[in-house]
Amino acid sequence: MGVSISNDHVIGTSAQLKDVIIKPDAPSSLLLDKHADYIAAYGSKKDDYTTTNSGKMDTINVDKAVEFVLSCMNFDGGFGCRPGSESHAGQIYCCTGFLSLTGQLHQLNADLLGWWLCERQLPSGGLNGRPEKLPDVCYSWWVLASLKIIGRIHWIDKAKLRRFILACQDEETGGFADRPGDMVDPFHTLFGVAGLSLLGDEQIKAVNPVLCMPEDVLQRIGLQPDLLS
Amino acid sequence: KEREKKLQIYVAARDACFTKRKDGVFDDEALQLTQQLLSSNPDFATLWNYRREILLHLETVRNQDEVQKIYEAELSFLESCLKVNPKSYGSWHHRGWVSARLPRPDWARELSLCDRCLSLDDRNFHCWDYRRMVVKMSGVPVKQELDFTDRLIGSNFSNYSSWHYRSTLLPLLHPQAPDTPSQCGNPPPSASPQTHFHRVCEEQLLKEYELVQNAFFTDPNDQSAWFYYRWLLGRAERDEMISCVYVSREEERVAVAFSRPVNAQSVGVEWQSVHPHFKNSPVWICSLPPGTISDVANEHNLTVHWTEKHSHRDCALYTGRSESWCRDTATDLELFRSELSVEKTSVLQSELQSVRQLQELEPLNKWCLLTIILLMRALDPLGYEKETLAHFQTLKDVDSMRSAYYSDLCSKFMIENTILKMEYAEVRVFSISDRKLTTLCHLDQLLLVTHINLSSNQLQQLPPQFAMLQCLEVRIGTLFFLLFFINLNSEISTLADLQPLASCPKLKRLDLRGNPITQTTNAEAELAGLLPSVTDLLL
Repeated sequence: MGVSISNDHVIGTSAQLKDVIIKPDAPSSLLLDKHADYIAAYGSKKDDYTTTNSGKMDTINVDKAVEFVLSCMNFDGGFGCRPGSESHAGQIYCCTGFLSLTGQLHQLNADLLGWWLCERQLPSGGLNGRPEKLPDVCYSWWVLASLKIIGRIHWIDKAKLRRFILACQDEETGGFADRPGDMVDPFHTLFGVAGLSLLGDEQIKAVNPVLCMPEDVLQRIGLQPDLLS
Repeated sequence: KEREKKLQIYVAARDACFTKRKDGVFDDEALQLTQQLLSSNPDFATLWNYRREILLHLETVRNQDEVQKIYEAELSFLESCLKVNPKSYGSWHHRGWVSARLPRPDWARELSLCDRCLSLDDRNFHCWDYRRMVVKMSGVPVKQELDFTDRLIGSNFSNYSSWHYRSTLLPLLHPQAPDTPSQCGNPPPSASPQTHFHRVCEEQLLKEYELVQNAFFTDPNDQSAWFYYRWLLGRAERDEMISCVYVSREEERVAVAFSRPVNAQSVGVEWQSVHPHFKNSPVWICSLPPGTISDVANEHNLTVHWTEKHSHRDCALYTGRSESWCRDTATDLELFRSELSVEKTSVLQSELQSVRQLQELEPLNKWCLLTIILLMRALDPLGYEKETLAHFQTLKDVDSMRSAYYSDLCSKFMIENTILKMEYAEVRVFSISDRKLTTLCHLDQLLLVTHINLSSNQLQQLPPQFAMLQCLEVRIGTLFFLLFFINLNSEISTLADLQPLASCPKLKRLDLRGNPITQTTNAEAELAGLLPSVTDLLL
């Protein structure tokens, strides 16, 4: 996921404000059929997927795990990789999801963290992963899902974010790239679609922010992780 | 064609590695192959694992000097990897592993590597994390690292990582003095930076204000300084305690409010959380056995024990009284702002003045506006109320993407002010209308409230936490102008109960779960007919 500063969409002049420009001819509607073809082209035999673990909650010392995660909480309400590490949207997503699954969301400072998260939104409408970084469509998931878990998704400008995500589509190949004009890949395609779902796109199934799975699947198995209101 | 050839070589080498590993081979060729592959793909975690297996094996068959040489060569190889890709998790992790196993580590060299790496990119969190490990392993003094952050902050614009590091160093160097009232013994290992255990002593805190102010005056668009400043202004966390106990003879129950959410289930007497879904809540109810306190001729002394915190609160229910409560009035003033000493107040006053001046020069700078609001909250929340509201309006215009955040934050501050006014007036009425409230919070402070007026606001729904208002006397009449409805005592059983809501044209969300009305046939259709404006109906 390297940043190519030579990309003419990227503003790299000011050290303070890194952002992208969305060209007027960027995609502005959801190209669902194109994306379906893109994903289907990757093939999906049963053998392509292997279960990585069948972990059970009771084999982990949950109290110690919670203690560790909370020790990674920073001055800004966010979380880093390890105790003492700088806050990062990816880590924040993992930690808020974890705290949801362990019923410990009340340990968060939701107002403070929510503020840090909504400050990820740049003038282009896209979200970055931490201050002074470029926006990236995958943060439409890491940041947005975190905001949803802590009940503050309304703190970002949804219309502007939607516009950014749509602009990351490739009209010819289908799929989403990290930012407008770049090459697409399945990773960013997943998070672009999931982000749009969280924003309320009616053409996409509702996605659960904690597990990144369709809500109807979770309803079927009776799993409803905690969310703050 | 060129690429295909390269790919073939790569795949061959990779397959050779896997075969060797499977066969348990840890020879020189394995080292060569993995080095070759990792040079072009340092994110290939499995190969780093295999390489460590090889090195561990070599440790058993070589003497210490040879091991030292091997690992020094490894560090040299890693440096070349990091030059190509300074952001590979695999490379940094391996370097940490090697440094920890090196018989004679050269931590000064490792620190200087970090210095160089950070001079190229001071936001490289891999390098910062590695630096923290080096500092820990080699006992670098905190003061030295603080000076390092000083240098970086002074010279670079992109400072967030440095300010963050500072936030972790400061409390280590200048912890709050043990004799201050908020300190209470050994800090728990998992205390967050917001708790008072990690608070910096006041003298150092004041010096820090100066440092940050220099930063945002030099560059008002440097957001890291403003984030850090907000942390400095943050309030001290309330002491853990039972904040209020309320007893009702009529309902024969006790309501308890804690200073933070707790899980009081399965503790002796039957406690129930007021929050329908969460196990952790700040307010809990205990229903007493019928007849225990119902005779108004009797006096009762109740004690609620919070065994985990070795604290308790007493509440006396006198003869002739139908209810009683007990709460700690000493905390009222410091409910929403940190305790300010005279020194700190005057410092913050001058800070406010300075930031106001900056705001005049930079009228579109949202950081200035927000910080002015935060300073006013810290100094005099009630006195600055009007100005606060005006600044929020400007803020919403200047930073419209986050206007919902500012609306919620403003709502929070107005609720805090209303609670403060309520405390001073010693009444049990919570009235806050026409304040453009978009959210409700601090409901755990409203345990004793009997009347609530939230008319002419912008609330679209009621949070489940509304159930914390255990004393609320729900009068259907007063709901006439409200924009929401609540489900407190599960009394709603007929359509007629909801008739007044038909006059609330802005009512959007109605949560009737737990009410008997949901059991009646055709409830949904009838409710939709009665309340056509409700788009979100929960039964």
